[in-house]
Amino acid sequence: MSAADRLQTTVAGLDRTRIALYAVLLAMVAFYLAPLESGFMTAFKTPDGFRTTTPFAPPPLGEFTVSAWGTAFERLSTGLLNSALMAVPATVLSALFGSLAAYGLTNLSWRGQLGVLVLFVAGVFIPYQAVLVPLTQFWSFVDLGGRIPLEIVSANEGLINLSITHVAYGIPICTVLFRSYYATIDDEMLEAARLDGASAATIYRRIILPLSIPIFAVTLIYQFTQIWNDLLFAIVLVSNPSNQVVTVALNQLQGSFVQQFNLQMAGAFVAALPTLVVYVLFGEQFAKGVAGDS
Amino acid sequence: MARLELDSVTKRFGEGDGSVLAVDDVNVDIADGEFLVLVGPSGCGKSTTLRMVAGLESITDGEIRLDGDRMNEQGPAERDIAMVFQSYALYPHMTVRQNMRFGLEESTSLGDEEMDARVDETAELLDITELLDRKPGALSGGQRQRVALGRAIVREPKAFLMDEPLSNLDAKLRSQMRTELQQLQADLDTTTVYVTHDQTEAMTMGDRIAILDAGELQQVATPLEAYHRPANQFVAGFIGEPSMNFVDCAVEEATLVDGAFRYPLGDEVGGAVDAAADVTLGIRPEDLSVDGADGDAAGGDHAFDATVTVVEPMGDENVVHLSLADGPDLVATVNGLRRIESGTDVTVGIPENAIHVFDGDSGDALHNRSLDDAELDDARV
Repeated sequence: MSAADRLQTTVAGLDRTRIALYAVLLAMVAFYLAPLESGFMTAFKTPDGFRTTTPFAPPPLGEFTVSAWGTAFERLSTGLLNSALMAVPATVLSALFGSLAAYGLTNLSWRGQLGVLVLFVAGVFIPYQAVLVPLTQFWSFVDLGGRIPLEIVSANEGLINLSITHVAYGIPICTVLFRSYYATIDDEMLEAARLDGASAATIYRRIILPLSIPIFAVTLIYQFTQIWNDLLFAIVLVSNPSNQVVTVALNQLQGSFVQQFNLQMAGAFVAALPTLVVYVLFGEQFAKGVAGDS
Repeated sequence: MARLELDSVTKRFGEGDGSVLAVDDVNVDIADGEFLVLVGPSGCGKSTTLRMVAGLESITDGEIRLDGDRMNEQGPAERDIAMVFQSYALYPHMTVRQNMRFGLEESTSLGDEEMDARVDETAELLDITELLDRKPGALSGGQRQRVALGRAIVREPKAFLMDEPLSNLDAKLRSQMRTELQQLQADLDTTTVYVTHDQTEAMTMGDRIAILDAGELQQVATPLEAYHRPANQFVAGFIGEPSMNFVDCAVEEATLVDGAFRYPLGDEVGGAVDAAADVTLGIRPEDLSVDGADGDAAGGDHAFDATVTVVEPMGDENVVHLSLADGPDLVATVNGLRRIESGTDVTVGIPENAIHVFDGDSGDALHNRSLDDAELDDARV
């Protein structure tokens, strides 16, 4: 079939229902992308520009500027760094602990494991708002900076607290994610490894871990996005301004007298960029890392 | 290489009233270098027994000894036993070489070169040298099977355990691997316990076979002994294809009676069964003579009128389904070159020297066929 024929068939296939379907789809695409597009356009406008034009229109001549991006980046840079320092270890640790817990709960057998699993699953459903007060009390009792007299600890106490909190609250969902994957691993293979003389720890290190790459990618993407975007714990647990994370800093780009929409929009994109980068990085890994691929 | 003893081994799953008895008081003594086949229908406890030997299941009661040492409390890693699984259970992210080396790395203190040498040697033995750098995903079923075997062999364990290792292969490859496995086992001379539900594998491969049913050991015997001298009706029916014919009968004055079907017994068989009221008459399909042309072992009152209902030509033999005028349906096998049409009337001889008689209640064999005219040496039966 030639290209022309194909085109003809395609056009012929465009009956009324199909046209209606595409129209609806297009409308939905426009509807969902409009805020993003408006934000992106606004970020390139001068204050006069965003006051005189509609949000989704491109910047008019002479009103185009990238200065908002520079300012946003400058004002968010500390927050970006702090967020990275907090979110990267928290993501990696919660995924690792989740994977270990899932291995212990799925592939090993011991008395009472169902009860422990129920606790993990219940942990997924704890609303963050419900634990705010006990959590702040807990950290003020722990008082890391006071107990560990190291400059690096006391200077970053807020970030460390926040990071550990995210690890703790991330473990249940990570465990559930890993568990569903580990349940599909062939029990006979693990038994073969036991007969081969491998201990439970060796089986995890040499067999389970290498086979977990795809689910690690999924969990890392999910956890990183969750932790990076969190505002609630960051506001409550971090009081020292030098430990401010990017979500809090972004919130403060809102001026008190004049609304600088261009700056806020540029800031939102800057703050969201790392999650996109992580998605692209591990998304590829996810596609590649299928077990048994030769 | 080792002697493996199962002493009153029992496995119970669960506790209290809801518990299930999976393996009930199994006693087997497996000699050094012996090939024992554990056979039975699915759910009979054969895999559970094997897994207890491997250390993958705990032992509820009894003792498993390897070379006289109690194994019950030892983990699978400490037993020096290798197992081949039905699913092959290869590590998908490792190459064949890494798969085979894994056990050596984890359970021995050999150096790198020694390990590689052992792997190469085993790979050569199994003819998989060219596969060493591939991953399991790139291998066919038969090749994976060889790698799984290689992984067991390379460790030079005291005993091999095989859990239905051939059941995922197609029929042709299976019979080829059957022969190869036998040769391999004979060459390596390693004690082997082989689990299968396939009576052909059991008959052809084992030095001895242990037949299990519902967790209970029915008989441990050489294949021919199990075939010709079954301990009970279950063994008689399980071993042999097509299965032995069974006719439930009452004993009346040295005659087996089932409605109009009357089968008079001679002194020897009559003496064996006269204490029983209800018995089951057993006769192998190949021992039935159809129309007397296969041999004249059956005379007068051991010959019955029958109609051929179905003929299944197998090439080498015909499986003939018969309906006796006096009652029971029987299955006979006759030479494949004989022409038998369904619907024809024939005379069926049931020679008395080939019949088995089982107790109607317990199923125990009261009388087994005579082997006086058979060319079997005593060592095998």
